[in-house]
Amino acid sequence: MPYLGSEDMVKELRRALSNPNVQSDQLRYRNTILKVIRAMSQGVDVSGLFSEIVKACATVDIVQKKLVYVFLCSYAALNPELSLLVINTLRKDCQDPNPMVRSLALRNMTNLRLSSLVEYVEQPLTAGLRDRAACVRRVAVLGWAKLHNLQPNSEIDATVVNELYSLLRDPDPVVMVNCLRALEEILKEEGGVAINKPIAHHLLNRLKECDVWGQCEVLRILERYRPQSDDELFDILSLLDTSLVSQHPPVMAATLSLFLSLCSALPAVSLSALERVRAPLLAACGSTSRELRFTALCHIQLLLRSVPGLMGAHYKRFFCGYAEPAYIKQRKMQVLVELVNDENVAMLLDELKGYCTDVNTDTAQAAISAIGRIGRSYSDQCLQILTGLLGLKQEHITSAVVQTMRDLVWVCPQCSDTVCLALEGCEENLQDTQGRQALLWLLGVYGERISSAPYVLEVFIDGVRSETSLEVKMELLTATLRLFLCRPAETQDMLGRLLHYCIEEETDMCVRDQALLYYHLLHCGIEETRKVLQGRRSDPSLGVLIGRPVEPISQWAHSFNTLEPLRQGTVTTDSSNKGSPEHVTSDPKPNSDLSDDLKPCQIETVQTASDSASLCTEYSTDALSSSAVAPLSLSLSPALSPEEFERLWLQRQSLHAEQGGEEKEDGDYLCTEECVQCPTIPHCSPQNLQAALQLVNIQTLAFTPPHTLPWRVYLYTHTHSSCSASKPPSTLILGELLYTGEPKEDCSKMVMEGSHEQLTTEGEEAAVDRLRGRESARQQSQTEDVKVTLKQQPRDDKALKGFLSVLTTVLHTLSTETT
Amino acid sequence: TNVKSVFLLQLKVLICRNYKGDVDMAEIDHFMPLLMQHEEEGLICPVISHGNVHFLWIKHSNLYLVAMTNKNSNASLVYSFLYKLVEVFTEYFKELEEESIQDNFVVVYELLDELMDFGFPQTTDSKILQEYITQEGAKLEVAKSKVPTTVTNAVSWRSEGIKYKKNEVFIDVIESINVLRGIEPGVNANGSVMSSDIVGSIKLKTMLSGMPELRLGLNDRVLFALTGRDKGKTVVMEDVKFHQCVRLSRFESDRTISFIPPDGESELMSYRINTHVKPLIWIESVIEKFSHSRVEIMVKAKGQFKKQSVANNVEVRVPVPSDADSPKFKTSTGHAKYVPEKNLVVWTIKSFPGGKEFLMRAHFGLPSVENDELEGKPPITVKFEIPYFTVSGIQVRYMKIIEKSGYQALPWVRYITQSGDYQLRTNV
Repeated sequence: MPYLGSEDMVKELRRALSNPNVQSDQLRYRNTILKVIRAMSQGVDVSGLFSEIVKACATVDIVQKKLVYVFLCSYAALNPELSLLVINTLRKDCQDPNPMVRSLALRNMTNLRLSSLVEYVEQPLTAGLRDRAACVRRVAVLGWAKLHNLQPNSEIDATVVNELYSLLRDPDPVVMVNCLRALEEILKEEGGVAINKPIAHHLLNRLKECDVWGQCEVLRILERYRPQSDDELFDILSLLDTSLVSQHPPVMAATLSLFLSLCSALPAVSLSALERVRAPLLAACGSTSRELRFTALCHIQLLLRSVPGLMGAHYKRFFCGYAEPAYIKQRKMQVLVELVNDENVAMLLDELKGYCTDVNTDTAQAAISAIGRIGRSYSDQCLQILTGLLGLKQEHITSAVVQTMRDLVWVCPQCSDTVCLALEGCEENLQDTQGRQALLWLLGVYGERISSAPYVLEVFIDGVRSETSLEVKMELLTATLRLFLCRPAETQDMLGRLLHYCIEEETDMCVRDQALLYYHLLHCGIEETRKVLQGRRSDPSLGVLIGRPVEPISQWAHSFNTLEPLRQGTVTTDSSNKGSPEHVTSDPKPNSDLSDDLKPCQIETVQTASDSASLCTEYSTDALSSSAVAPLSLSLSPALSPEEFERLWLQRQSLHAEQGGEEKEDGDYLCTEECVQCPTIPHCSPQNLQAALQLVNIQTLAFTPPHTLPWRVYLYTHTHSSCSASKPPSTLILGELLYTGEPKEDCSKMVMEGSHEQLTTEGEEAAVDRLRGRESARQQSQTEDVKVTLKQQPRDDKALKGFLSVLTTVLHTLSTETT
Repeated sequence: TNVKSVFLLQLKVLICRNYKGDVDMAEIDHFMPLLMQHEEEGLICPVISHGNVHFLWIKHSNLYLVAMTNKNSNASLVYSFLYKLVEVFTEYFKELEEESIQDNFVVVYELLDELMDFGFPQTTDSKILQEYITQEGAKLEVAKSKVPTTVTNAVSWRSEGIKYKKNEVFIDVIESINVLRGIEPGVNANGSVMSSDIVGSIKLKTMLSGMPELRLGLNDRVLFALTGRDKGKTVVMEDVKFHQCVRLSRFESDRTISFIPPDGESELMSYRINTHVKPLIWIESVIEKFSHSRVEIMVKAKGQFKKQSVANNVEVRVPVPSDADSPKFKTSTGHAKYVPEKNLVVWTIKSFPGGKEFLMRAHFGLPSVENDELEGKPPITVKFEIPYFTVSGIQVRYMKIIEKSGYQALPWVRYITQSGDYQLRTNV
């Protein structure tokens, strides 16, 4: 065919279509129409041929009919008047003896999407619902949904709705499922199709007849049904059992989702359902389709939040194949990190080590940061691998290792010696901003133990003129100032040069302002500077972080089997690459860019979660103490990560310290201290305490080991008050339990000192020894109290009092049990 | 699910179908640029979002199949549907690629209409579709007089009135063996098997008249335990998946596999066996890299299966550095070839009897200026095919065929074991 511009082509086609010779030769006519459709699918605008094509509709040739329909459905909206001409042919076809012709006509009639045609379409659609051929009924049922979709505000015809409800009993399973779909659409305003007991059981009984798509639809809609008794509930659950272990991942996922919604009040049953889906989920992880593999992995991550041990024995199933895409490898690594335990740690680390040299740099860096995560529990093995990786002298690897080490020492300060040794010389292999930033942070904080620190900083300072990264310059300022505080002789000169450059020549306001701030700070004296720059550190005595707290299933059940889990992890992985741990932004949750309409049910579900929790707390507080407690409910959601806790705690700490008061209060914040008599508490095992507090919805985050002094526990909870409207609906309470072994009079002083002044390891050991001595001397003394420091935001005295009474009751109960 | 629309693209949109009419079809223009951008950033992901529109996509050869949705849909269902599209199109056009789409776009439109209506999957069984969506108009004319029974039939996967002169069923039992062998932490040692499993599939080619009832007997351990038999070798199958024709309730109650088969070719069932299998072809390799001068490779392949069996078309693919040159080979059997575009040496052995051992040596030069680009450590992979043998020991004990006309039919069984994902990691 000669090349024609689109205008010429349309002209040419019009001439052919209106040529009587072509029209009389069926084959030629059809081929010409075919050419039109081809041009259309190649993006040529052939809408101008509408009237010619409409004429071609009246034909006995089915193929030609189908071609015309394809054309009409694409352009009908542009020519509503001309489309009227087709409707008669379509209506005639609806009475054709061939069911295929009938369903074709019916479907295309509704696909024209013209509200002007509605009155002509209704009658054939009504007839279609009663057609003897299932394929026509299928189309007719969905046709009503399309019609309603076209005029969403129109009156709903009750007879049609009734007819659709009765067609739920249609012998054809697809008609049944289409009825559900259509009613969902038509009754959207009323909350969708109504599911009563007979309908629910009818659907359950016919579930097996449906194909995969139909089963998923039925299962989704059944989530709306609430069984009337436990007996009925368990009948339904046993009917669903085979679908739960279905080999079709969509069916399995939809069934689990239904299980979780039916059993939201029965956590034990939900947990056993999670156990049941382990095998099919693992099978889906081995699916040949990588997208299904990916989806399964993302859902496994959700399950692990509530049952961390679910996949422990199957960790090898999450090893990466060489040719797998990066997004699967990275998810697998995230899962592997969760599965680590004493038995498999060596094997797992060895495997991860292999991924660190992956050709894909993102995968390599993800592997390195995974090793860092494991390092929080198995620091020696991990540091050995990380140090070894520095030897490869690859830029992207070195950068990831240094960032990982920075994140690791922040959580596990005991690693700092090894890290300091490893850092020597690695600056030569660092090019990217994040890596250099991490190195600078480490040099500033641990400068006194890294002999070459001043020389490395000097190189940076000499090159500051050509430095393009704002972040690096700001980090450099802080690091140099910090180093100056511990090694003034070596650093003074270069600090001066750096400040001079940043104040006099730097054009960026942020850098300049920071330099000016430091300059003025130095004028206030060394001690002041030290207080500002060396204030915040993790408490090294808090080594034992008891894993990640197990979340209740209700935390994630609403997002199960949606797009959400597929999108989440990608955001969390790189949150650690955003600069120094101190600078972690105040944004508590990674800001996933899921649009709002993706989580329509979230608010509602959280609400129910806290409701069930409140029941539980009320019950247990009643059981634990007879004292009158204001109606108060505690809940663990939203969960708080250790990092967030520390940030919030320290933020309050500094405010508190500045005011210097015993009790600091302002409008939305309250800090109080109480002493509770329960001398044996510091000797009970962290597991017991954690379990006991979790019963009343208080989450413990960190412990010192039992018998050490000072003994500490950090915990948090959320309160929800339901009674008064004037009070804030919910508050966050952070708490610290502190036991120093000192008599009551001194302990308040200890809190003030112990928590924001960092003791050197040596000094601390001495202090502990000293305290131990005293403790043994006062073994029998009853004056030893556990000091409870609570921080609440926003302020709500009543709730805080209620919380304190719950906490005290638990501590007392435990205390009597331990003795 | 509520899929708004489906697109087939290759850089530009080849075909699209708008199912709901309430989304802007121009949204798809964001897809390719976003995909490319993610690819560049190494953050590629099977879900791409733009505003409140989400694209769920898969790639088949060089074609993208994209489902557009703005609801919080069930991801695994959408992906399953996209793969179903690939399956149906492939059965229609043999190859699914840009050319076959261009040549058959009318059928593609028709299929898209039949497979999904208003965003909901409808008829997706390709056997049924092939009965009334045909490529030739002539056939359609015939169909006009004959109402396809399958759409209304209780047995939706088989139509009535099928006739064959000679009634036969061919049963293929195909097992693929997946092996991942690790490396010991030491230097250049060959490690042990880290994971292995068998994926089996039973395929049928049915050439039977009427509406036959079939029953398949396997040496299934659960079945033998149920019936109290304990003779001979049995197999424990996991993750068993059946074609929709198999009566699942029967299988669940007494492990009987009974069904009315679809006509022609179909996959009756698949299973996985998660046991520690001995790798059928064991590879020992020594790869020594002398920087700036040469790489020396020694590969020993050993057939760890019965002496009577023979592996056919064995291919051992050994990775070499991308800057290697001047290859030299020596093999005790078969022939070795350097494939520079894939950085591989491919050692081919046409027939490899069980219990035998063969050797291949290769020598490559390396440039004196080293390529400082980081190269991964690709594994050695092996391909092979062993006929008349299944690793798991699964056996077809009987195939009963009953049809009301009472004809005699013959079942033919063929076994074959082949390599699946067969990887042996190396140190270099």
